[in-house]
Amino acid sequence: MSLTGVAFALFLPLVLGAYWLLPRRAVLQNAVLLLASLGFYLSWSPEWLLLLIFGTVLDFGLAQVVADERRPTGVRRLALGVAVAANLGALLWFKYVGFLTDAMHALFAAAGLPSSATAMAVVLPLGLSYYTLIRIGYLLDVHHRRIAPSRSLLEFATFVMFFPQIIAGPITRAGRMLPQLRDARRLDPTRVAQGANAFLLGWWMKGYLADWIAPALVEPVFADPGAAGAAAHWLALGGYAVQVFGDFAGYSLLAIGVAALLGLELPVNFDRPFLSRSMPEFWRRWHISLNTWLFDYLYGPWVTGTGWLRGRIALTLVLVFALSGLWHGARWTFVVWGLLHGLALAVHHGWDTWYRARCRVDRRWVTARKHAAYALAAWLLTQAWFLGSLILFRAEDLGSVGRFLRGLLGQGTGFPAEMDAITLVNCAVAFGFIVVHHLLALPAAERVRSLGARTPAALRGIFYGGVIVWLLVFAPLGRGTFIYAQF
Amino acid sequence: MPNSDAELRRLIIDWLDDQYHFGDAEQLIRDDEQSFLETGVLTSLGFVQLVLFLEQRLAITLDRAALTRENFDGMGRVVRHLRAHLGPASA
Repeated sequence: MSLTGVAFALFLPLVLGAYWLLPRRAVLQNAVLLLASLGFYLSWSPEWLLLLIFGTVLDFGLAQVVADERRPTGVRRLALGVAVAANLGALLWFKYVGFLTDAMHALFAAAGLPSSATAMAVVLPLGLSYYTLIRIGYLLDVHHRRIAPSRSLLEFATFVMFFPQIIAGPITRAGRMLPQLRDARRLDPTRVAQGANAFLLGWWMKGYLADWIAPALVEPVFADPGAAGAAAHWLALGGYAVQVFGDFAGYSLLAIGVAALLGLELPVNFDRPFLSRSMPEFWRRWHISLNTWLFDYLYGPWVTGTGWLRGRIALTLVLVFALSGLWHGARWTFVVWGLLHGLALAVHHGWDTWYRARCRVDRRWVTARKHAAYALAAWLLTQAWFLGSLILFRAEDLGSVGRFLRGLLGQGTGFPAEMDAITLVNCAVAFGFIVVHHLLALPAAERVRSLGARTPAALRGIFYGGVIVWLLVFAPLGRGTFIYAQF
Repeated sequence: MPNSDAELRRLIIDWLDDQYHFGDAEQLIRDDEQSFLETGVLTSLGFVQLVLFLEQRLAITLDRAALTRENFDGMGRVVRHLRAHLGPASA
């Protein structure tokens, strides 16, 4: 059941009806949410529901032990170790066992040794990468006394399995979600309006932008890299940036919107990443919930801890981003993609340190940094790096990356398929939307933004109605999957 | 070694000037409760560098569990957290 599909359009009103019409008590509201979440997960991945339930119950129980100060420290630490190991073990098994056996096989073959390792294909349970991080974050927060453990299994299970976020995030934190689930939620018209707005924007970005661009510009070229002409490769790459942004930022907005309709607040996951003028800024704007998770639970503790990585900022950035790449998928392309971004952050850190040293001795360097030319160069470099890295993100293997790069440089001829006028118009609208969506966030667009807020409700209603009609006419059907749900 | 809250504030402002704002830090921090992260005074990477600097300069080890935005995202928060760690200022 996709969040942009017909089944969900029937499912959501039923959930909202039961949720808001029942007596306003937290336990009843959470029960409705949990039942809905179980139903939602069943519709996607019934074979893995028991794994999700078992892990959730195990973490709930072990967190009680971790927090229990009457128990010896060793027992509490053991409980934490078992819980984290169980979570990571499941992730390692389901997501990486095939990758590891393949790598071992290749290593033996390269060394000319016989290998009995056989490739293992294990199906990845839906949402495992996301709910593993959510649960580990909860366990570590309880361990560090940042939060009290949840005393209600219903409340905890609702938090972990909450259906809008279960398959592709945002990666929520217990510290923000559990207090919201503890009290009964009130129907707040402002929040409902915000939720509907986010849902519509998410539907537009996922159901229209991403789903038009992908088959028209991206898939034909990436299916056979190097075969089409250079222009087709550049369009495919730009199109893929729009697709992956529309797909994932759109999904996040859908989730945020549904949560708001239920009176709950999920964290913002994207903040106009294509405005970024440095890689650190880019990663503060793209998949924010994953990057803050990595920062809070890996990067920060490693750099400020007492271990070998203390103070080694550049190296830790490379390590954390290599892990981020691996989290995205068990493929060498993702590992290299993560390493490239870690390297970019490390280089930026070195550049920044060098530049700041110049600023200390001469204010002209400070002025130069505020100049429009510096900003433009920094923006171009940042976006070009991200765009280039997307080839690795999309390619099936490292060989296709080479072929795609050669394609960008002009080998091969023409477009892989003819495009009709409707496809062309919709692709132009998709690209145009991304530009306008980002430009509207700039301080210079304040007047336009305030104009939107001052528009009479009737006109806004007509505009939203028009968007819905446009979506119903043009949004492609039957493309309900999300790129980030595969991770 | 900085002792009073004012001296701790000065220490942080001097570090921000030396590392990021080159004389503009005082102007950027309008009040004690202003978020460093939300107003561009400090990024999350800079936040980690601030922690490392404070530990080295004040010869202390801050509790890892307490390295949160609640304790470090703002001048007042940092000073209060350091004060709790260092104990009351001596006369």
